[in-house]
Amino acid sequence: MGSTSELLVQALWGIGGVLAFLFLFIVINKATRELKERRALALRQELEPKILAYVNGKGERLGPQLGHLRGLERAVAEEVLLDNARFLKGTARSRITAACEELGFVQNRVVQLRHRRWWKRAEAAEKLGTMKSPKTAAELIALMRDPVPDVRMRGARALGQLDTRTSIRPLLEALQDPNRWSVLRVAEILAGMGPAAGDELVDAFHVLPLKARIAAVDCLGRAKSVRAPAMLIGLLSDPDRDIRARAAHALGLIGDPNFTPDVLKTLKDDAWPVRAMAAKALGRLGRAEAVGPLAEALGDKEWWVRINAAEALRSMGEKGLAALMDALSSEDRFARHAAVATLEGAGVLDQYVEKLASPDATEQEKALAFIRKIVASERTDSLSQSATRHAQEKVREQLGRILKPGEAKT
Amino acid sequence: MNPSRILVADDDPTIRRFIATLLADRGYEIHEAPDGEQAYRMAEMVKPDLMLLDLIMPFRDGFDVLSELKSQDTTRRIPIIIMSVKDREEEIVKGFTLGAEDYVVKPFNSLELVSRVRKILERSRS
Repeated sequence: MGSTSELLVQALWGIGGVLAFLFLFIVINKATRELKERRALALRQELEPKILAYVNGKGERLGPQLGHLRGLERAVAEEVLLDNARFLKGTARSRITAACEELGFVQNRVVQLRHRRWWKRAEAAEKLGTMKSPKTAAELIALMRDPVPDVRMRGARALGQLDTRTSIRPLLEALQDPNRWSVLRVAEILAGMGPAAGDELVDAFHVLPLKARIAAVDCLGRAKSVRAPAMLIGLLSDPDRDIRARAAHALGLIGDPNFTPDVLKTLKDDAWPVRAMAAKALGRLGRAEAVGPLAEALGDKEWWVRINAAEALRSMGEKGLAALMDALSSEDRFARHAAVATLEGAGVLDQYVEKLASPDATEQEKALAFIRKIVASERTDSLSQSATRHAQEKVREQLGRILKPGEAKT
Repeated sequence: MNPSRILVADDDPTIRRFIATLLADRGYEIHEAPDGEQAYRMAEMVKPDLMLLDLIMPFRDGFDVLSELKSQDTTRRIPIIIMSVKDREEEIVKGFTLGAEDYVVKPFNSLELVSRVRKILERSRS
């Protein structure tokens, strides 16, 4: 009995000791962290004016102005430089890169790229991207073979920030990454690199595997390369339907109305995704000659094609809206429904409902004729709501009458 | 001659400090506002010769501050340069429509910003 209570007391002492140790550990840790933060803040206040003066043009080198930096001072100086790099370009931005190279921050982060912990490597890649030193291209290219996808992604983003042609080729290779999400991100990075990346893409396109080519077509639409349009027009007759669809979409993104005749041909493509993308692109290109074919596409058997055609017509202003109004009398039920949905979305239906209360008899008559067409199209959800909820009694009454069965055609 | 007063309204303290240093080094008197509400109040109080205005700020966005300042007799004549990461055509057009003097997209070139500030101040003095 005695030994049991002794054991219990000993156990309680043990638990108490561990808890006290933990408590002390947490308190000391928190105090140390706060002290470090305060010291960092004080250092920032001391170093920032000198760094900003350098960034704004004072002196050739930052090192002599800061003196010898150690430990936390180096970390704070790097943080100040990179914080300012976020929103600057031009000379000031180049001076930040030069300072990072001069103070050894670039070199330190390059060493960190080989750290055994993946998040340390990812952090190094991100910082190197912000530092923008072209000297790090080779190391970042090597990082594209890292086993961890997140590290490869940060490496790709950093390469995209370097503004150097040497980083384009490895990014093109990264388009072959098995991870679809990575491929999309890399494509986005390449598109952001502008015409130089576009030109390289045109050259490398035919040796890329299919998935990479699909992503590359998207880049070509956004990278603003003068060589892209000719290639994209050629791709409209590629054997792969995804390539044809993305090529039509890319031509729409570039937005030159002269592409209209080529894109119009794909509105008759056998594959519906190609027709859907062609309809979308034609809306962006905005040429009047596309109105008729788009109105015809409102009756396409695929919902995506119909809705893209309707949206394209809506985006084309008056001429597009007129075509949608005409489609309300179409014999094709699909075309009528697509037209009603889009006219509702564009606020046209609401405008006509308001006109039912107009003091002008001609306006009122026009509104009645339009609303009868909507009722005849057999898509009246929005009108039924207005018939019960509209603020004006006169409008509610008129709508109620029109919506009575057998009333629309009178 | 008194130095021109410039109000820098941006919720990012690093950007505010950078611009303040950049312009103070060139002899301007700088005032800072960390949000839209304070930007509006300080513009009324300080009557700056020029205002640099961020669009995305807490409490009131830049467009709101801009249109309010342009609707008041006392602040209508303050030239305003919008500084924003928003670079879409419609946003830039909206800025000019509401009465901004200039629109600078972030990231920006600091020397170019100084030239724009100088030019606008010269124009508003003449």
